[in-house]
Amino acid sequence: MRNGGEGRARLLLIILIVTSLFLITLDLRGVKILDGIRGGTQNVLAPFQKAGSTVVSPFRNFLGDVTHLGRTRDQIEKLKADNAKLRSKLLQRKNADGELTQLKSVLNLAGQAGYKVIAARVISQGSSTNFSQTVTIDIGTSSGVRPNMTVLSGEGLVGVVKESYANSALVMLATDPDFKVGVRIAGSQQIGILSGGGSKRASLQLLDNQNIVKVGDVLLARGSTRNRPFVPGIPVGVISAVDSSAGSIAQSATVMLYPNFSALGVVSVVLSAGKNNPGDALVPVGPTPSPVPTVTIYATPSPTASTK
Amino acid sequence: MLLRQFSISSLIFLIVFLIQESVINQLRLPGGGFSLPLLIALTWAALSTPTIGALTGFISGFFMDLSQNSSGAMGHWTLIMILACYAVAYLGFGNDNVRGNPVTNIFLVSSASVITLVVFVITGFLLGVSVGSFTRVLLTLLGNGIWALLVTPLILPIVTRLHKVLFGNQAHI
Repeated sequence: MRNGGEGRARLLLIILIVTSLFLITLDLRGVKILDGIRGGTQNVLAPFQKAGSTVVSPFRNFLGDVTHLGRTRDQIEKLKADNAKLRSKLLQRKNADGELTQLKSVLNLAGQAGYKVIAARVISQGSSTNFSQTVTIDIGTSSGVRPNMTVLSGEGLVGVVKESYANSALVMLATDPDFKVGVRIAGSQQIGILSGGGSKRASLQLLDNQNIVKVGDVLLARGSTRNRPFVPGIPVGVISAVDSSAGSIAQSATVMLYPNFSALGVVSVVLSAGKNNPGDALVPVGPTPSPVPTVTIYATPSPTASTK
Repeated sequence: MLLRQFSISSLIFLIVFLIQESVINQLRLPGGGFSLPLLIALTWAALSTPTIGALTGFISGFFMDLSQNSSGAMGHWTLIMILACYAVAYLGFGNDNVRGNPVTNIFLVSSASVITLVVFVITGFLLGVSVGSFTRVLLTLLGNGIWALLVTPLILPIVTRLHKVLFGNQAHI
């Protein structure tokens, strides 16, 4: 202005303002060329922006973390809570799946024999310091459960109801040292008494010494008068070893009980047995061995190798 | 302003525009961040004559219009920047308080940047540009003001030196 004069300066200012207004008018009227200029600029800028983004990403992340410190912490806490909830749900689901499988198998077994059963969940296990093997189930007299009723799982005999309360019942397991049940061997129909041994192995005392038992024989519950405490035909276990000492009065054997007592989740209490004795119908089907394929390889010497 | 000075100034503002687009915009700074072309143009204008200020506003405003992030019409920023830079140059030129006192300069540039944004919002509203809710606009203005107060002291020595190299002690047209 000092050198160029006020008029020249004003003229320049007016030209600049008019130019910008002209640009605004063109843009508002939708002239394509201006969009093209912006688009072209963006095309030129894109590589710079990409490079810039790579370079500044550590700073950006740091700034983002600093800015959202409180929010990030809240989010972490929320995600932790969600995670714990989901883990709990997953655990419950797995547990429910396991219980469902057990329930299916026990109902299958009971259905085959025509027993009227009521399903129960094992809610606690007796302390081993009492030297007894018991579990508590979540149904009692209100559901029709009475003492001396048979308790079974999908695999076989679990035990017998020892005490019954309004909404729970105490079950003596077949592994309890005081537990005794009359059994018969499937097929040969030999009878004996099975006693709990404190573990999954129980001992069998046969009443008749003339017959011979062998490893793999299946034992079934013989049944009691009016089906209490035991209903007939329930699989109890399989003979795993036979005591063949010459001087013994009665033949004895070691029996591997069928149920997995350490994983009892769902059991059934037999309220009443069917009209007919199931006999050997509940004998579990053993695993069928799958044939091992034999691979034969024929090697034929190549003629070119032999000539060399 | 000689053609050489105009060309160099344009080049400087092109570089500033590139820095803004490829670095500062990528940082996603809190409070909406700041506009480096706006602050440099206002600082540059504060050291210049009103005519050079208007030209500076034209160059920087045109680059700001070219940005894909610009919400206004093409030429909107150009118009606002011409007026803003002219006004700052008019206030600053010949005033030793502005040219000789960095603190005054910083406050002039910072307040000018906020006022420029306010004018941009109002004119944008008249031109039919959607600028978001009132609260959001207020927060952006506040954030921009704070950023301007923080950044202007950093860029002031560089801009002053560049301006001195290009125009000498006094700006000429």
